[in-house]
Amino acid sequence: MTLIRTSPGRAGRVDWALVAAAGGLLVIGSLAMLSAASTTPYYSSVFRTHFVALGIGAAAFTLMLAFNYQIFQDQSRALYALALVLMVVTLLFGHVSRGHRSWLRVMGFGFQPGELARMLLILVLADVLDRRARRIESLSTLLTVLAVAAPILILILRQPDLSTTLSFVPALMGMLFCAGADVPQMLAVFGCGAAAFGMPLLYTFCSARFPDAAPHSLPALVLATSKSGWAALWTILLFAAAGALAWRLATWLRLQVKPLAFVVAPLLLSASLLSGLAIYGRLKGYQRDRFVAWVAPETDVQGAAYNVIQSRIAVGSGGLWGRGLFSGTQSQLGFLPERHTDFIFAGVGEEMGFVGCSLVLGLYMLLLWRIVAAARLARDRYGYLVCAGLASMLACHLALNVGMCVGLLPVAGLPLPLVSYGGTNLVVTLGALGIVANIYARRYALL
Amino acid sequence: MRSGVERRGRLEALWLVIAAGGAALGLRLAQMQILDAASYREAAERNRSQMIYQTAPRGRIYDRHGELLATSAPAFSLVFLPHRGRTGLAALAGELARQLGRDPEEILKTLQEAAREESAVTLADNLPAPVFFRLSELKALYPGVDLILEARRYYPFGRFSSHFLGYMGRMNRREWRALRSQGYRLDSRVGKLGLEKIFEGELRGRDGGLRMEVDAQGRLKRILGTLPWRPGGDLRLTLDARVQAAADEALRATGTGRGAAVAIDPRNGDLLALSSQPDFDPNALLSAAAASARVGALPEFDNAISGTYPPGSTFKPIVGLAALNERRVRPQESFYCPGSFRLGVRTFLCWEHKGHGSVSWLEGLAKSCDVYFYNAGLRAGGALIERYSRAFGLGSRVGLGGFSTERPGNLFGPQARGLAGRGWHRGDTLNLSIGQGELLVTPLQMAVVAASLANRGTVWRPRYTSRVVYADGRPDYVQGPEILGRVQADGSAWDQVQRALELAVSSGTGMGARVPGLSVAGKTGTAQNPFGEDHAWFIAYAARPGEPAAIAVAVLVENGGHGGAVAAPVARRMIEARFGRPGPFPSGGGAG
Repeated sequence: MTLIRTSPGRAGRVDWALVAAAGGLLVIGSLAMLSAASTTPYYSSVFRTHFVALGIGAAAFTLMLAFNYQIFQDQSRALYALALVLMVVTLLFGHVSRGHRSWLRVMGFGFQPGELARMLLILVLADVLDRRARRIESLSTLLTVLAVAAPILILILRQPDLSTTLSFVPALMGMLFCAGADVPQMLAVFGCGAAAFGMPLLYTFCSARFPDAAPHSLPALVLATSKSGWAALWTILLFAAAGALAWRLATWLRLQVKPLAFVVAPLLLSASLLSGLAIYGRLKGYQRDRFVAWVAPETDVQGAAYNVIQSRIAVGSGGLWGRGLFSGTQSQLGFLPERHTDFIFAGVGEEMGFVGCSLVLGLYMLLLWRIVAAARLARDRYGYLVCAGLASMLACHLALNVGMCVGLLPVAGLPLPLVSYGGTNLVVTLGALGIVANIYARRYALL
Repeated sequence: MRSGVERRGRLEALWLVIAAGGAALGLRLAQMQILDAASYREAAERNRSQMIYQTAPRGRIYDRHGELLATSAPAFSLVFLPHRGRTGLAALAGELARQLGRDPEEILKTLQEAAREESAVTLADNLPAPVFFRLSELKALYPGVDLILEARRYYPFGRFSSHFLGYMGRMNRREWRALRSQGYRLDSRVGKLGLEKIFEGELRGRDGGLRMEVDAQGRLKRILGTLPWRPGGDLRLTLDARVQAAADEALRATGTGRGAAVAIDPRNGDLLALSSQPDFDPNALLSAAAASARVGALPEFDNAISGTYPPGSTFKPIVGLAALNERRVRPQESFYCPGSFRLGVRTFLCWEHKGHGSVSWLEGLAKSCDVYFYNAGLRAGGALIERYSRAFGLGSRVGLGGFSTERPGNLFGPQARGLAGRGWHRGDTLNLSIGQGELLVTPLQMAVVAASLANRGTVWRPRYTSRVVYADGRPDYVQGPEILGRVQADGSAWDQVQRALELAVSSGTGMGARVPGLSVAGKTGTAQNPFGEDHAWFIAYAARPGEPAAIAVAVLVENGGHGGAVAAPVARRMIEARFGRPGPFPSGGGAG
């Protein structure tokens, strides 16, 4: 009898630490936003939208907490269909803003379905992974998950929104990892993807850093490869030779490795190289500039490095205590770009200093810790996977956004959830946190 | 199915990665906001603020009596700095032409040239206040236009000691590259010559300015504050403005108007005057017109320290001192002068073709009889004369501090010839005895010789700064006197030389330098010049009766002819100025 835990009261079921962390982030975010947007001409519109979204978000949080989350697993197919329809409708009838067809207008309200689709995809994938729990280690599971995610991701990519698509990959990996997928398989698949994506990065790096490399140096070889043709063929042959050599080495060392691996590895590398070439050719000019601004900020490409430099100056000049709300010269005088949206963390850094940044970071870690705690305590595997996916996604957004503001990562154009200005993102994030709170509240099977 | 432990392990690993990422971001923030905060703050300040600089007053230069030789005057200037923006030049030119009442085409041409050469250009200066305020609105509209209150260098005496004081000018490209790290701006002026150049570091103040806040588009938001300027250190010279002015004006009034005059205090080596003609007005070089229209060839060559001439008869006191002190000639001993001197098959003439008859030492020097010195020189020998002239400092730079263009001249004698690998002949000794041949000296060297003759052998390195007084409380820099060497000779030999020099002025060739009530001693010289008219020389020193000499001068008038007629009056004017005689005093203080 003593082993059976009694369910706490209604108030005790809610994770108040999670609520407090989210609330704290919202408060800091709102202050920073009001300060940063105060110099923009659409100040009142930002103000109104933000507080309307805050109200809707609070309602979404409460709603998601109200009923049993398992209904999402039951309605998984419907959710998937909803996500697909939303994305298709957006692509067909969406509103174009800054080159992205990502807005949908319904009854006078504009919202970005891509944000909702991402969240729905996590719920759907959690269901898929839960259903395939018995065959979780097989390659087919991995490929199924990718196949389920691909349509939504490709539709987001069509908007086109590369950053959002890419930022979903870590969330996907986090979910697969926590579900217990085979790590070598994951490494192979995602490594291939990374290689395909790393190639353009490498070309960009070489062409920015060593524009006039000596003809036979390694950078020159890489640059030549980027021009496809014979050089690419030579590189593929090089991969094959390296594979053969590794096979000889493995047999000599009497390692128990399947010979197939030595055929597959060069093939995969070559394939990723070729797809990398294809991706590089399709990158938009500003995307290429962002790469260059990141890998070689001193070579300013059409002012892309300007944003990174201004953001770093804003963060650094805040010092320990910050320069005070409405007093940061970088944000108030317009040196900081996108200061109430993507670069809001730099605004926090400038006006609230290290103390403010630490508070944001600390609250975020508390939030993530509570999501992880909810995953630990979840009554079923589905809830566990949803929490793991959400934690991975939020952590990924945090890392990419803050990393961008402090100059560690390339400019990605991703918002910082709960802090940046953005109505849809705020509502969806609060709704997702509602689901986490739901999972936490219903941690006892008795309920 | 996986066990719960495995599942938990995966989750904990994920959490570990998240926590590590958070910690990494935290460390990066600490690095940026705590360790490097100061440099980022500086960058933010640079971002938002724009300076309108105000040139600080440069240190003043005073003469020994506290007379202002160089100071600063306030001036408003309209400048165009093309590195800040180069579009809309035509519109700007039109607007400026309307405000200033000038031709827009001309202004546009100036602006375009400034933009092409990336050099700052001053469009107008000495602006009246209403124009200044109307123009100040243009700054917000046209980036690159600046209005500045400057402390402009001003020389109250104008054309006065210009080679010595120097002048201010724009930096050329090479100077700009070398100085940009030391707080100089593209439109800064630097000392280009003389003291202005040598004491650039001491005279230069720290510029102040108006700090303004601008936004990312460069629009003026507000004035953040002013940075007060700090004036440069003042220079106190040993120069005597009255002597200098007398020298400048007297030299200018000579027939050719070209020459040099140097005055030294024989008691302590103080430089009292350093004049070189032709000169220039340093104020004229500071006007905007001079800055935009390329200044033609300046008479930058300083005859006083860089011009080398044969000393002519002014060298005779050294020959005489050598012969008398080494007992090669007795003072009472006479030589007969028929107007020429035969050496072998060659005839050496005396300047007085009629001849002086029988001359002893005193008459020989006072009348500057060449034949007397041919004889005395042959007795003494070339080597001895060379030794004495070296002791007086000839043939090597005096070393006037910082003046790099000073020339050493050329020592003439058997040793110098030997070093050059050629032989010495008796004919050379004769030429040397009357200060001709290959002997070359500067007026500065001759002034040092005159001072040494006055003080019986102390060879000074003249000093010209008595002290540098810093505005920021740094201890003053004081320059002390320096002795280059000493000419060793008996008192009787000095007596003879000085008596002969006094006689030369009172009743000899140097009567033009006579000043009633003062004891003046001197020696004329007429240096033969193969390129034209002879150069006129005069060296002298003067004292109140019974006192040590207070001034020694050397005057050279290029192609002036006879030293006694042309150069001696210049020396007289300088001596009169030194002793406060009513003479030409610079009418300073007015418009320069």
